[in-house]
Amino acid sequence: MMDHETPGHETLGERLAQQGISRRTFLKFCTAMATLMALPPGTATAIAEVLIKAKRPSVIWLSFQECTGCTESLTRSHSPTLESLIFDMISLDYHHTLQAASGYGAEKSREDAMQKFFGKYLLVVDGSIPIKDNGIYSTIAGRTNLDLLQEAAKGAAAIIAVGSCAAFGGIPNAKPNPTGAVAVSDIIKDKPIINISGCPPIPVVITGVLAHYLTFGELPELDDLGRPKSFYGETIHDRCYRRPFYDQGKFAKSFDDEGARNGWCLFELGCKGPTTHNACATTKWNGGTSFPIESGHGCLGCSEPHFWDAGSFYSALSMPASPLKLATGAVVAGAAAGIAVSIANRVKKGAAKSAHQKATIADLEK
Amino acid sequence: MSASLQKGISVLKEVIDAPIASYFSSCVHCGLCAEACLFYTETGDPKYTPIHKLEPLRRVYQQEYTLLGRLAKMLGLSKPVTDEELEEWKPLVYDSCTLCGRCSMVCPVGNDLVYMVRRLREGMAISGHAPDGLIDASKRAVEIGSPMGVRLPALKVQMGHVQKEIGIEIPLDVAGAEYMVLMSSMEIINFPEYLGAVAKIMKQAGKSWTLCSEAFEATNSGIQIGVSDIAGVLVQRIVDGAEKLKVKTVISPECGHAYTALRWEGPNLIGRPYTFNVLHILEVLDGFRSQGLLKTSGFEDTLLTFHDPCQLVRRGGVLEQPRNLLNLVAKNFVETSDPGKMNWCCGGGGGVSAIEEAQELRFAAFKIKKSQLEETGAKTLVTACANCRIVLEEGLEHYQMDIPVVGLTEMIADHLTEGE
Repeated sequence: MMDHETPGHETLGERLAQQGISRRTFLKFCTAMATLMALPPGTATAIAEVLIKAKRPSVIWLSFQECTGCTESLTRSHSPTLESLIFDMISLDYHHTLQAASGYGAEKSREDAMQKFFGKYLLVVDGSIPIKDNGIYSTIAGRTNLDLLQEAAKGAAAIIAVGSCAAFGGIPNAKPNPTGAVAVSDIIKDKPIINISGCPPIPVVITGVLAHYLTFGELPELDDLGRPKSFYGETIHDRCYRRPFYDQGKFAKSFDDEGARNGWCLFELGCKGPTTHNACATTKWNGGTSFPIESGHGCLGCSEPHFWDAGSFYSALSMPASPLKLATGAVVAGAAAGIAVSIANRVKKGAAKSAHQKATIADLEK
Repeated sequence: MSASLQKGISVLKEVIDAPIASYFSSCVHCGLCAEACLFYTETGDPKYTPIHKLEPLRRVYQQEYTLLGRLAKMLGLSKPVTDEELEEWKPLVYDSCTLCGRCSMVCPVGNDLVYMVRRLREGMAISGHAPDGLIDASKRAVEIGSPMGVRLPALKVQMGHVQKEIGIEIPLDVAGAEYMVLMSSMEIINFPEYLGAVAKIMKQAGKSWTLCSEAFEATNSGIQIGVSDIAGVLVQRIVDGAEKLKVKTVISPECGHAYTALRWEGPNLIGRPYTFNVLHILEVLDGFRSQGLLKTSGFEDTLLTFHDPCQLVRRGGVLEQPRNLLNLVAKNFVETSDPGKMNWCCGGGGGVSAIEEAQELRFAAFKIKKSQLEETGAKTLVTACANCRIVLEEGLEHYQMDIPVVGLTEMIADHLTEGE
């Protein structure tokens, strides 16, 4: 288990007590985290025990080429919710949108934290990093994002790339990508990086990953794109409540036809659910209210790389070429081929039969 | 391609029918048929795997009747069946297959391998790749009337001997008799006591019967060599004889393949149904037994066992009758292992006994029968097929085993209650 002793920070338990958050609320949070990450039930208590004693790690949050949607997603989660606890679990030492300080003071707090907690702080990045023309297209306090990232990464224990921009380059990376935007992982190669993709990502996923990191001292198991498997292991389609209609071949053909009103599958309207790995269909959004497909719109596939360049949001992933017609065609073609082969074989057998000369004992010897 | 090969391939194309197509396409290559074949189990040589024996037929099927096979043939990717190959396969298709049908019993997808070997022999024979022994037997059967060259005078001589010995007249060409009795030339030459046994049994049962001077030979070399046209000619003789004498039932003698030829293949060979019934002698005897027409006395005391002739029991379905009859006259009848429909062949059926080159292999294959007999400890071996009988006798002699082989019909006749 990782040593979370970060001098100068009180423990999470003390912090929670100050905030008037009861142990019961905290345990509920821990249980929810354990469940979300598909950990064994007993882990909830373990999480609570570790978390309550954990010194809140220093977190430096760098925002680069982004729209602040990820931060919005996080902060606008309904209060009091589990997500609000994030700021009690960590010591957010730098976040230029949220922090009160500005100008040199702000930059100083970042530098102080980097120095004081070198090798131990968590670096959270949202937004992509422009590298074209030496990265001049996005600067903070006169320094390029590229420069800031490389500097901050040096002392980071791990990097959490929040949002599809930081994880995969996102919308800034979309064609023609005028700023040469790239993902964190394209630049930093020597640090553990966890991608929490989505545009924006689900708040509880960020919280879950942080809780996992604090409890176990390591990053959760990741998929081939660096995303935590517990949240990105399955596709939206796998878990979609409209899946039965897909299986029955019942599709909405327009956003206002009978199929749409009956809540049939949105595949033909361009839903990217089948190729999108995320937890929307299970954790949902807005305090568990719903998720896009539940609101009648197909998934955009925002948690996958290059989602913006993957064709129209409204064209189907692959258009089933009327499977029944195709099947009939195949049956007809198969039957025709079968009949043709059968006729050919009959002709051949018939020819052999008519060529038959009654065998006699004279035929037995060559 | 030689003219004979061309004819042979054409015949193979002709004999490949729906069953064969489905057998080849459903073979799962499991190799279970190997363990069922005595030529494989007794030699351990995988070339005796039954499905492998069918390779030339399979290739013709594939090249002529399947899409991919035709493509491959067109592109020169699959080599055509050649004379050399057929000659190489001769020992597999003839010497090491007695058409016993044990492999057909174990095939998990129900392929009748014997059916296929029988059809492959059609092409082998016409392309000139049949063994000399079978060619000669077939010639004698067609030209002389019997594969062993037995003519009517020889039969008449044997009839005379039997008549003198048992004092019962042997009827010949009696029109309107209920039964027409056939013989195998093996019985005429080696086991004429069969004729005497039949005469005694018929007399006791009070049935009218006759031999036919134009059709006394029951065996069918055409079936063994695998030429349906010749088999048809031989069956037609019997049909003509039976219809001329207007008999109700023709009795197939103690001969396995004669029964197959006459009872199961005959109507297809001549292309029409018979106007008479065909029964094996054991079916007739068991019929007499159940009607109370077979009165016996006394029992055999020695420990005896029964060798199931493949064509009669496994392929023919005459399974219970020999047991019923044996139990009528024997107190110490024991079964061998794998009795009845899973019996092991004597090693000389399907024409193999007529193939001189196959003798050594036949003795090797006989080891299974030998060990079966040793297991039972039987002192007498009973069977109901003259060919099995001679092959068993040869095998026992080769392995210096002193066990007499007896025909079941004679054993029954020996226990008939005398004088009524």
